[in-house]
Amino acid sequence: MTEMNRREFLARSVLGGMAATATLATPAPAFAASAGAKGTLIDLSLCEGCGACVSACSAKNADRYPEPVDDIPVNWPTGKYEDWSDMREATDRLTPYNWIYVEQVEVDGTRVSVPRRCMHCDNPACANLCPFGAQEKTVDGAVVIDHEACLGGAKCRSVCPWSIPQRQAGVGVYMDLAPGLLGGGVMYKCDMCADLVANGGQPACTATCPTGAMRFGDLDEIRITAQARAAEIGGFVYGAEENGGTSTIYVSPVPFDEIDAQIAKRRGAMPEPPRVGVPHMAGVAEHYLDETKDLASTFALAPVLGMAAAGVAAAKAFKKGETR
Amino acid sequence: MSGRRATIERQPIENRLSHWLVAIATFGLIVSGMAQMPMAQRYKIAEVPGLAWTADFHFTLSLHYYAAALLLFAVAYHVAYALFARRFAILPRRGDFKESAQIISAMLGRGEEPPSHKYLAEQRLAYAFIGGSTLLVLASGLVKVAKNLDGVLIDGGILWFATLVHNISAMLVIVGVVGHFAAFLFKANRALLPAMMHGRVDREYAAERHSLWYAELEESDRAA
Repeated sequence: MTEMNRREFLARSVLGGMAATATLATPAPAFAASAGAKGTLIDLSLCEGCGACVSACSAKNADRYPEPVDDIPVNWPTGKYEDWSDMREATDRLTPYNWIYVEQVEVDGTRVSVPRRCMHCDNPACANLCPFGAQEKTVDGAVVIDHEACLGGAKCRSVCPWSIPQRQAGVGVYMDLAPGLLGGGVMYKCDMCADLVANGGQPACTATCPTGAMRFGDLDEIRITAQARAAEIGGFVYGAEENGGTSTIYVSPVPFDEIDAQIAKRRGAMPEPPRVGVPHMAGVAEHYLDETKDLASTFALAPVLGMAAAGVAAAKAFKKGETR
Repeated sequence: MSGRRATIERQPIENRLSHWLVAIATFGLIVSGMAQMPMAQRYKIAEVPGLAWTADFHFTLSLHYYAAALLLFAVAYHVAYALFARRFAILPRRGDFKESAQIISAMLGRGEEPPSHKYLAEQRLAYAFIGGSTLLVLASGLVKVAKNLDGVLIDGGILWFATLVHNISAMLVIVGVVGHFAAFLFKANRALLPAMMHGRVDREYAAERHSLWYAELEESDRAA
């Protein structure tokens, strides 16, 4: 602080602080919320469990199903890997070869059929927390896994409240890196037929549904329709509030916790963890990223405080230098 | 020279504060960042007694955010202080690569060490490497934070790229930290350790190894 006088120092400090604050206060223009999100209404009072949606999904996506190597590498040090290639025909749960299935439960003597697939959350923790940026949420609201970039760490499945994505080993980019040591395959799930939707179409499942139980449209309208339908039949809604809101809204004549209780029995009978592929229907009140949302505001504050502290420290150093 | 202290001030409190805050934040970020990869379960780290939390993405993500806020504070403080108080001695200068080679040769017993300012050429380069990597990891991390916010959509390609930059620059930071520790394998560098603790170094060491800086200090003392 030998060549700077006090006025020059103060001007520099104030201007620096203002510039930095202005930078922080300006939102980045590249980021914008989606206004055109699409959604699916699944009306369980109309679903007959025919499975047409399951067949349609398979017909649409079969050429994207994994084709693993014959000799699938065993993961070190767990000694495990997840292989569904011998169970390609399984349609009673989610697998890498079956991205939608119909859960059949009985509630008070009434059979209820529940088509299950990715909920396509408004703020998907799976896509947000992928450590390789291999998932995204599109402007249409579809949550899409990039099969070319996925390493199969299955973090998306861990952070998904419903554990939707399913892993197939022996396929994907990890096979070119250090198979057995790094990664574990590729994650697969419903992508809302993002390619069809992007071109103004609708997913294969909703397009095929013969009873009108599955309907596709603008998410805002779907939500209104779902509430109206629930009121009409004295029913219940699932998916509108869960995990901070999703694009898949269920309407049911029976309470969802009763459906969930039936699903829980099936999950409990599964041999060992991970007990995934048969998603629950319990309420998901908290969003996975709620806490980080609150913390994010400190990211604007921290640098401002840092600069202010530096200003004070520099002023002190200046004073010390001046009186020396 | 009787009556003069045997040590001189090298790192004032502002530098030590920046350094240790960045160090604590970086340590927290490396640990919590590794846990995001996700490796705790994959490599059975979470099965080690006391390390179960490494597999809890909820906990480690919050830790990552707290540590990142601390890093933002420390970096803003460090940069702003350097600008306000005009402390630029640690920035790289022309010829630093060549001079670094000379210094390392000298430490290995070949040739003479060139006279140095407050920081050796290799120290200025190391600062630029760690500082540059830190800025990259911060910038790409902020994109990832924005993406986590409700209602914020970022194009998949941009996200993939930001994530790649984040992962690579984080690895560069780790390389930098390892190199920083490795510097103290050389005995000649160890005299600097007290400077980051209580701020002072041995006067003779400064006069010998940082002769240009020492001469400047002597000059300003005489002027005062």
